[in-house]
Amino acid sequence: MTGGGGWSGIPWSWNIITDFRLLWSFEFMRNAMEAGTMIAILAGIIGYFVVLRRSSFASHALGHTGFSGAAAAVLVGVQPVYGLLIFTMATGSGMAVLGNRASARDVEIGTVLAFALGLGLLFISLYRGYAQEAYSILFGEVLGISSAEVAFTFWSTLGVLAVLTLIYRPLLFASLDEDVAEAKGLPLLFLNLAFLLILAVAISFAVQIIGVLLIFALMVTPAAIAVRLTSRSLWAVVVSVLIAMTAVWGGLFVALWTNYPASFFIVGIVFVEYICIRGVGVLRETALLQAVEAPEPDGVWYLRDAAIVAAISQGLFVVGAVLLTIALLAHPGAAWNPAGLLGHALPAVAALEAAAVLGGTSSLLYFSGFRKMATSAREFATPAFLTLVGLLGLGIAIGGLALFLTGETLATTAYGLAPVAVLFGAPLIVLGSVLTGVGLFGHAVGSWKLGLRYNDAALRAGALLMVVPLVGYAVSCFAYRRALVRGAVPAPIPRGTSG
Amino acid sequence: MDAELPHPPLSRAEGDPLDRSGTPAIEAVRLEVRYQSKLVWKDATFRIQRGEFVAVIGPNGAGKTTLFRMMLGLHWPTSGRLSVLGERPRRGNYRIGYVPQRHTMDRDTHLECDKLVRLAYPGARWGPGKRWRPRQWGPRFDLQAEGEAAAQALEDVGAYELGPKSLGALSGGELQRIFLAEALVGNPEMLLLDEPLSNLDLRRSRELVETIHGVVRTRGVTTLLVAHDINPMIRCLNKVIYIANGRVAVGTPDEVLTSERLSRLYGVRVEVLHDSRGNVVIVGGEDDRGGEGA
Repeated sequence: MTGGGGWSGIPWSWNIITDFRLLWSFEFMRNAMEAGTMIAILAGIIGYFVVLRRSSFASHALGHTGFSGAAAAVLVGVQPVYGLLIFTMATGSGMAVLGNRASARDVEIGTVLAFALGLGLLFISLYRGYAQEAYSILFGEVLGISSAEVAFTFWSTLGVLAVLTLIYRPLLFASLDEDVAEAKGLPLLFLNLAFLLILAVAISFAVQIIGVLLIFALMVTPAAIAVRLTSRSLWAVVVSVLIAMTAVWGGLFVALWTNYPASFFIVGIVFVEYICIRGVGVLRETALLQAVEAPEPDGVWYLRDAAIVAAISQGLFVVGAVLLTIALLAHPGAAWNPAGLLGHALPAVAALEAAAVLGGTSSLLYFSGFRKMATSAREFATPAFLTLVGLLGLGIAIGGLALFLTGETLATTAYGLAPVAVLFGAPLIVLGSVLTGVGLFGHAVGSWKLGLRYNDAALRAGALLMVVPLVGYAVSCFAYRRALVRGAVPAPIPRGTSG
Repeated sequence: MDAELPHPPLSRAEGDPLDRSGTPAIEAVRLEVRYQSKLVWKDATFRIQRGEFVAVIGPNGAGKTTLFRMMLGLHWPTSGRLSVLGERPRRGNYRIGYVPQRHTMDRDTHLECDKLVRLAYPGARWGPGKRWRPRQWGPRFDLQAEGEAAAQALEDVGAYELGPKSLGALSGGELQRIFLAEALVGNPEMLLLDEPLSNLDLRRSRELVETIHGVVRTRGVTTLLVAHDINPMIRCLNKVIYIANGRVAVGTPDEVLTSERLSRLYGVRVEVLHDSRGNVVIVGGEDDRGGEGA
């Protein structure tokens, strides 16, 4: 990305290894990476229990009481993490003693939470360095972690993991089936206390990198994503840790090169992951995917039309790409400049746009075809779903492109807005492209299944060749024609007699 | 007696300090219980033999769950004597399997059923006095025994294929089978099932009762089942514990479910009607004065 943005981060090269070496050469970055990794591990594991026990609001509240703790520590002149630990652990113990269903007492927790924030505000205003300290407690200051703090985080993480090893099973059991656990003689009060203390420790460390207000993104969301992906407890914990880790690493990495706050990127990565997973869930339930009453030949003929349209779309795409390359070689300045592109490469842009429209149309046709096939053969439900994902991805990619181009245009007039459009446009383009790829994969999977269903080698070959531009869909068109002549594929039902 | 056994033994050998198979499963003598100082019921004297299938029937709040909680050592009688499997009730008694009425999990609980059953497996450890003690803390190392016990328990309740499914994805009837397996995995001598049939339609109720009855016969487990309606299980029962109006009546269904006995229990005129297939209908007793306590 070499847009007109005004950031002044570290120079970026496309060689990831040199980039990483460069990054590792800064001590503050090493500290941030090490602390971040340990915190991601802690948060990922404990987040699983937070989700299982429905105590996400309690964890949010613990973070807020941590704010007053950190502020008090700043006022007294010690490291904020000690204040965080004392305040969150005290609050956690209080919650445990009051009752083991902390999640059910939203009002009490909310009241304490508001008071804690107010207390923190008082402490901060008593302290002279008002804005900066409050800012870093509220939103995290990952690049300010010292080596001593890293060591402290390391030993605390080790201690927490040791305690978790001991109480993992009973805690899991008590979280799942409280009454049976009580009858089995498990000490519920003690388990709840131990859990809240561990949670308090994890939150105290996590606040350092992500801040009080954004704690949810690290403590709850990764585990919430993980339990949707797997119902095996151990896998869920592993996935949750991995998600937290990718978010922390990715966030730090991007933050260093763009000079925007790391907390935003961490939260952003977690958010995008959550949206994707939830999106899949919502998409799977959607009425669009329910089987429709349709005769099978109808589905086949939709698929044939889809292959023809896709072949034309790809042909146009190749033509457009060639024209664009030629135009850009002649006028290099037009690359990131919409006006320049339109001026110098109008035929290329037109061809690419037509290809995109036809590509979308073919995806729609594929989707309808697979959905109709799914009435007689359920195995086509998956290709239909994947194609739907691809359609969604196409929409996202187009939206991202529009945002990106807007940002590039704004770069000349509204300086401050330009990077924002680029910041969101580029990831959306990437996400949309990946999802579109998933859709294309769906075309291939569906065509392969069609080839299996009608025992047609040419259809299967077409499906396999879909990775090669132009060839796969062309072979598919040919295969449909051949299969029709042979009578392998059911002939279309004349209008009026179907249904 | 072997020094190391993989899990609590199925049948206890001669001379085992725990072998009290001669003693009744439950013995209550002039038992009286209060819940938050309110009298729930009193003067309960009864005896349940080992391997019996017993229904606990009575209106809401009559103290059925309180009876279970007393047997689990979670609630103490105010007077009288209660012995369960030959010993005083105590908390954490692994010889009793318990299915409570309420569960913490719901539709959003994404966890394999198999895991829940495994978690309930008590593990193997000898405690003081050569007693089996559940191994509840720390990591598990006898994963194979645990897996086998869980698979066996799931198999016994006809839910083996539900093992890898997520708890949140199950229907009410399937969930009750998993809970039953969870209670069975520790190889208990007694099962306490609190309203497992609520929220099930009549067909699923009968299927679950058949499963439970099968477990009672094959494993020889003494089973107490709290229910509102006795009819789904009336043909498998050995005894009925009828709790109403602060009093407890115990006996075979034929002894207890008579107009005279229930009228005496409720203190008002109650009719017990029988249909041709053995089902009973109790008329006049449900608008009673037994609605206190747990």
